Amino acid sequence: MKPANAPPMIDPGLARSLARRQFLHRAGLGFGGLALGAMLGRDGFGAEAARGRILDGRPQFAPKAKSVIWLFMRGGVSHMESFDPKPALNRYAGKSIAETPHADVLDPERRKRVRVVVVNDANGQQRHTIYPLQTGYRPYGKSGIEVSDWFPHIGSCIDDIAVIRSMWTTDDNHGAQVQFHSGRHMLDPKSPTIGAWVNYGLGTLNENLPQFISMGPRFFDTRDGHYLGPAYDAVKLKVDPKNPLDYAKPEGRLSDEEQRLGFSLVNRLNRLTVDRYPGDAALEARIRSYELAYRMQTAVPDTIRFDTESEETRRLYGLDREETRPFGEQLLAARRFAERGVRFIQIMHGDGAAGAWDQHSKLKEKHAELAMQVDRPIAGLLKDLKQRGLLDQTLVVFGTEFGRTPGSQGADGRDHHPYGFSVWMAGGGVKGGIVHGATDELGFHAVESPHYVTDLHATLLRQMGLHAHHLEVPGHKRLERDFGEVIQEIV
Amino acid sequence: MRSARQQSWIDAALSLAIAWGAGPCLAASTAADYLRDIKPVLHERCYACHGTLKQQGGLRLDTAERLLVGGKSGPAAVPGKPEAGSLLHRLTTDDEHERMPLEAAPLKPEQIAAIRAWIAAGAPVPPDEREEDDPLRHWSFQRIERPEVPTEAKTQNPIDAFLARKHVEHGLSPQPEAERSLLLRRLYLDLIGLPPTLEQLDDPRGYATIADELLHSPHHGERWGRHWMDVWRYSDWYGLGDQLRHSQKHLWHWRDWIVESLNADKGYDRMVLEMLAGDELAPDDPSVLRATGFLARNYYLFNRTTWLDDTIEHTGKAFLGLTFNCAKCHDHKYDPIDMADYYAFRAIFEPHQIRLDPVPGVVDFEKNGLPRAFDDHLDAATYVHRRGDPAQPDELKAIAPAVPAMLASFAPPVEPVALPRTAWAPATREHVRRDHRDEARRRIEEAERELAQASGTTARVAGAKLALAKAEQAKLEAVIAADTAALVAVDEVLAKAASRFEGEAMKAKAELDLLMLEGKDDEKKLETAQEALAKAEKKIAAGDTAYTPLRAARKALETPEHTDESYAATFPRHSTGRRRMLAEWMVSRDNPLTARVAVNHVWMRHFGEPLVETVFDFGRQAPRPEHDELLDWLAAEFMESGWSFRHLHRLMVTSEAYRRRSTQADADPATLAADPANRHYWRARSRRMESQALRDSLLQLAGALDPALGGPSLDAKADSSRRSLYFKQSRDERAPFLSMFDDADILQCYRRDESIVPQQALALSNSAISLGMAEQIAARLHAADPAADRGGFVETAFRQILARPSDAAEREACLDFWEAAAALEPVRQATDPEAAIRSRLVHALLNHNDFVTVR
Repeated sequence: MKPANAPPMIDPGLARSLARRQFLHRAGLGFGGLALGAMLGRDGFGAEAARGRILDGRPQFAPKAKSVIWLFMRGGVSHMESFDPKPALNRYAGKSIAETPHADVLDPERRKRVRVVVVNDANGQQRHTIYPLQTGYRPYGKSGIEVSDWFPHIGSCIDDIAVIRSMWTTDDNHGAQVQFHSGRHMLDPKSPTIGAWVNYGLGTLNENLPQFISMGPRFFDTRDGHYLGPAYDAVKLKVDPKNPLDYAKPEGRLSDEEQRLGFSLVNRLNRLTVDRYPGDAALEARIRSYELAYRMQTAVPDTIRFDTESEETRRLYGLDREETRPFGEQLLAARRFAERGVRFIQIMHGDGAAGAWDQHSKLKEKHAELAMQVDRPIAGLLKDLKQRGLLDQTLVVFGTEFGRTPGSQGADGRDHHPYGFSVWMAGGGVKGGIVHGATDELGFHAVESPHYVTDLHATLLRQMGLHAHHLEVPGHKRLERDFGEVIQEIV
Repeated sequence: MRSARQQSWIDAALSLAIAWGAGPCLAASTAADYLRDIKPVLHERCYACHGTLKQQGGLRLDTAERLLVGGKSGPAAVPGKPEAGSLLHRLTTDDEHERMPLEAAPLKPEQIAAIRAWIAAGAPVPPDEREEDDPLRHWSFQRIERPEVPTEAKTQNPIDAFLARKHVEHGLSPQPEAERSLLLRRLYLDLIGLPPTLEQLDDPRGYATIADELLHSPHHGERWGRHWMDVWRYSDWYGLGDQLRHSQKHLWHWRDWIVESLNADKGYDRMVLEMLAGDELAPDDPSVLRATGFLARNYYLFNRTTWLDDTIEHTGKAFLGLTFNCAKCHDHKYDPIDMADYYAFRAIFEPHQIRLDPVPGVVDFEKNGLPRAFDDHLDAATYVHRRGDPAQPDELKAIAPAVPAMLASFAPPVEPVALPRTAWAPATREHVRRDHRDEARRRIEEAERELAQASGTTARVAGAKLALAKAEQAKLEAVIAADTAALVAVDEVLAKAASRFEGEAMKAKAELDLLMLEGKDDEKKLETAQEALAKAEKKIAAGDTAYTPLRAARKALETPEHTDESYAATFPRHSTGRRRMLAEWMVSRDNPLTARVAVNHVWMRHFGEPLVETVFDFGRQAPRPEHDELLDWLAAEFMESGWSFRHLHRLMVTSEAYRRRSTQADADPATLAADPANRHYWRARSRRMESQALRDSLLQLAGALDPALGGPSLDAKADSSRRSLYFKQSRDERAPFLSMFDDADILQCYRRDESIVPQQALALSNSAISLGMAEQIAARLHAADPAADRGGFVETAFRQILARPSDAAEREACLDFWEAAAALEPVRQATDPEAAIRSRLVHALLNHNDFVTVR
């Protein structure tokens, strides 16, 4: 190993990338960052870094949550038929919006925050004929919060949930998916997503696992780190113990014993090289990365192997039913990752470029079918976390890129609706059984406590013990809106 | 003489000394506090509008003296009276239209408190506080003058002469030259992106001779082409399904132009000219037109402003090191570039559009076509977008095309370029007619073959197909004749004929469609076909002159609502010359930026660190570099060598600075202490191979690399042995193995990341390519010396893979491994256990840090 008297020396190229990421002396970051961070701290480089505002991989103040399970419904869930029931739609069904007492919702002045990427008749239009609710709704729990009949299981957990009915965004098309994660419109330069910021701001709690995991389909932007660098991209996983992540298993004939022997030779030779290149931070980081890789190979498949889970748990997540199994498996894996200290688990639901929840037509049939796929597993996750005492430290977020129009599109669909939509949070110190914010009677505009998507990010970061404003890197200016504001009422 | 201000500073210092004695709670704010707590805040938040760049309201805040003098509305602060001046009021008012900084977050309470305390303490002014420099005097905005090469050091290479002076100045003793084998590996990887073979490692020729040979290797263009593809944002097309939304199909033509230009050592000045204005310089030379792929890459279907914003931003960053993009919504905060400059720069690109030109022998644009730029809307006006919002153009004033005013003194005038007919009417090209005629004939022959083999109903269909093919051919001839005439003068007779033949072809198509629909229950299609038939018959009967000219190019759609038919088949007969003006200004000997930026990119890729840290921003945020004379000498030498990259590479790789050892082991302790960060290049610097170099090296060492040059991009997931730069690369398509090692970000990649993450370890351990190549490399090494014992094999493997001998401890580790592996059950059951172990050993060496590292 490194001679004790070798001076602490950092290659400037590496120091540059380190300084840029400000992760110099953190206790651990997971992956290469961990290796570098731990080593640099040992080398005393941290003292220098500590003069600046450096994130040390630990929360900046007492956190409520340790992990986030981020559920994102791709395509645009109808807020009126999920968590923001609007009986007025039944009352005015078939009338034009102008004929209702709420004609003012169409006031162009009130709609101008939308930034149109392309004018498109097929979508992103306001639809003027009120379309009645396609499902019923009823109150749940002690709080009596109303939830649509498509989500009865989530309804049964409502006393643990804070529903936010007053979200808004600015993209009227599916670029809003990226915007929901990054806070930036599709026409803006790409910027890091909320998962990347958490990854950047916090150290890992488990050196054997990636700390930012993504499951499920993505389309418009498959990266997260952007100017933070590829080390902050989510690690894409599949719930397949045989092949959970790229290159997790040899793509050729190589027995476990041979592989172990190979890894140990690499390790031994690399350590012998330290004398040739004293003070080579990259070399030491690479040694650590190989050690981590070897452990990850085992730890990741072990985490997504469910044989130790009881029948009851499996049922809870809907693993016994065809329609709920794929999503249920991802959620069960998410719980197991969260349990092991993974910071951010991002699960996308709904295939296709635009996303499955994009019901320009056949809303009733398709939304019911999609809700069926996620309702039981999500409720199962919440109940399971709760019974294990994990809900307090695990923040579960349910989001979608925008809502859908109160008016009908074609015979049986709704169009995109960025002016008002619903999301919810549960656990991680968020209040349960409350509704925050409101849309108007038609579900058109967020009128009470409106929140841009980054307010959700700021709230989440706060629960994780991070100040949104401290997440910044030189040379990449963030605007006030990028940071968002904590939704104080729900925490 | 002491000014009153300085006196007040001394007074304040004295009062501080007194206050200090009385206890810290009475400490008054001092000039030192101003420098520490206030000036940096003013710098960050206020200087952009109240400094050397701009003096809004006549106010400058870049010195305390200036602050106290104030602007048009009087002093910003009155010493001792915090409420008297305008500064605190403007910082704290609730009126958002008044509060500074405008449209931004207010200063923090503690920052305001510090300012208040300082004013209350009499606003003590520090001595000798300097104003911000005139922005136009920024180092990189000065003309490049060739500095004198220092003569005191005995060295051949001016690079070393400049560095030696610094070494003497700082008392540094540079490292000696690296071991030859490691040096050759470095040279091979840097110049051709492939490691040397065992034979090449034993090459007895001189280092400079080998360097020269590598600089003339076709692989050199591939290696450096990939670097420039990073900088110029190469991306194959992508979109949604079949809809092209970004970049262009067949953009590989531009990639081939890059590689070929580098291999031919085309001057960088000429490369810039061709990329920005190839269509104006050589309008009928497809090999030059390829260069405008640089512009075609920025194509974006949905939003012209986004498209042009990308073009402006990356033209600025790539060639000039200027961040124009910061001046889109407001004047630049640091550089003397205002919004008017931004939109004047946009006006240069405003007329241009993109199209695919026909490639000889191909009439189907899905199969091939040449993406290129051309000026289409010659009179399109450019307006300033208020606050950067395209919905708020300032239509009162059209903006003329211009380069940034601060550097406009040497800009040539804009002069329109007359285009040859083959450029504005591609259908009149000789090969286009030949290709379309060949295609028409081919279809007839195909239909005839089909008819010959058909019987019954199929014969009717085949007959109709033949009729259609013949009608198409007749139409083609008529259209070509009419086109030819029309390009001189409209010929009514020919146009009528073309119109009639077009009608006949439409009729034949409708008849075929009807026939194909027989017996099928498709009302809608039937109706369409019947309508088409009626339309065709009407057209024939009408006998007018309306016909569709031969369409030989495909213009990229301006919006998704358009179709190919939205555009004429011919294009403007002139180009505005705006882009040629821009490019000529860029490569003018007087341009202070272009050569410096290019030289810096090349230097970074040979030395691991750039001379100017911010490779795409040479503006005022970039401090004068440590090695400014070296940079300027290289830039001047580069320009005066005819902008020859080959010359520049040769200079760099033959320098002592390049050839040094990279390790700091055995380094002079004083040197290590004086310059631990190696700012003065007293040793070489290790780097990680880029993703492409890594994969190509695996193939090369295995002898499996397919050296074929150029051609269409390969499917990103293809199992290919071609070099990595030929894989498709877009948002949606990335070669999986390459993407693990910080592959270029197609949106912006002026410098590759060098992350170190465990996924890379997994990819290099478990991928089919690393396992497969390990086996082939092992077999090759064994075949070269079948009699070698275990130790001998280890030695050869070290030399081939790491380009250095092993030491005793390393050999021992390998032999231990060998023994342990031989005892493993799976190895014992292998057909040739020794071969299996050799390949495992090679595999381990491929995972060695010093394989992925350029030492």
